[in-house]
Amino acid sequence: MNPHLLATTSLTAELADVTLAYTGGAPVLNGLSWQLLPGQVVGLLGRNGAGKTTLLETLLGLREPQAGSVQLFGQPAARPDDAVRARIGYVPQQSDLFDSFTASQLLAYFRSFYPRWNENKAQGLLSRWDIDPHQRIAKLSGGQQQRLSIIRALAHEPDLLVLDEPVASLDPAGRRDFLGELINQVLSHGTTVVFSTHILSDLERVAFHMAFMSGGRIALQAPLDELLDEVRQFSGSAAEVQALLQRLGAHSLKRTPLPAGRERVLARLPAGTQLPPGTAAELVTLEDLFMALT
Amino acid sequence: MDEDFAFSIQAGSSEPIYRQLVEHVRRRVASGQIKAGDEIPSVRELAQQLAVHPMTISKAYSLLEAEGLLERRRGLAMRVAPQHQRAQPAAARIELLRPALARAAAEARQLQLPRRSVMKLFADILDEDPSP
Repeated sequence: MNPHLLATTSLTAELADVTLAYTGGAPVLNGLSWQLLPGQVVGLLGRNGAGKTTLLETLLGLREPQAGSVQLFGQPAARPDDAVRARIGYVPQQSDLFDSFTASQLLAYFRSFYPRWNENKAQGLLSRWDIDPHQRIAKLSGGQQQRLSIIRALAHEPDLLVLDEPVASLDPAGRRDFLGELINQVLSHGTTVVFSTHILSDLERVAFHMAFMSGGRIALQAPLDELLDEVRQFSGSAAEVQALLQRLGAHSLKRTPLPAGRERVLARLPAGTQLPPGTAAELVTLEDLFMALT
Repeated sequence: MDEDFAFSIQAGSSEPIYRQLVEHVRRRVASGQIKAGDEIPSVRELAQQLAVHPMTISKAYSLLEAEGLLERRRGLAMRVAPQHQRAQPAAARIELLRPALARAAAEARQLQLPRRSVMKLFADILDEDPSP
């Protein structure tokens, strides 16, 4: 078999030309295509209301798009079989735990669905993350509920972990511990992770790839290292900047007109470009990229 | 051993994490704080310690290997290559500062600061408490 074909059939997730609109509204996903490869850790970045949660729910087959196709582990996402379901871990933005259960009852309940449930990991995280297993979930704090939701998603050693703003109510120490656990999961299991958050410093550490969402699409996905190495900000008279970018073979990502015929352009240079000495080009940070690309 | 490395990562920087790690090892080797034969943490150890994606760590290590600073040994921890026995002379070490100072100089020019106040600021910073 053609090795290229083999590679494409092993995609963790694939969205092709997906369009989704809520009743009476403009499309939230607008011809969106996206691929996740095994073992990738992808940070999903977008402004509030850009449709990140809708995208993640669609990826998981929880929402049906009006057009396009969504595949998870090579199967249609809308009708996953038990084997596919067991390979997915999901931490939704709003935790959806059963209030009247205790933490320990909740985990026992989920354990029965998952052949790969790792009880040692679940118990270890409960004690490290300071959750009383015999307390009713309704009585746990917001942060504890969120941690419990993360434990539930990590305990069955998923092949795909989808995290929608998972750390909003964790303090810095809790976030660090959670990120460490995420790295463990990647190291021990090669888990594919999609991680949406506004805490860019967390993403910078754990996510190797960044996906920028804008206008209902993934506007750009690339390794953050490459973006920081290759994207520069140029400013000057529009004509000069354009001439320079053309000479360098650079690809404009965002152009901002300034007064008096000047403009500021964020552009990606071909890998390994050495800028001529004296070129007025500024380095960028992830935050600059977020502002320009989302 | 890990204390000798004391890696730290600055988030929000325009310098990608893999390059922060590379520069860190370069400085440690140049100053003789780590030297020939010293073992460095494995990709797995450092990824866990820093909560950084393992591909970022291996990218840094591969660059350091290509530069001849580190050597890879089958089945064993990577270590500092044998030619790095002692600290480099100050004339070579100071070159490692050039990129950071060039960046600072560019920013000073953008801010249109007089040379004297920039130099004074740098001197003051040098005199500050050296503990990290």
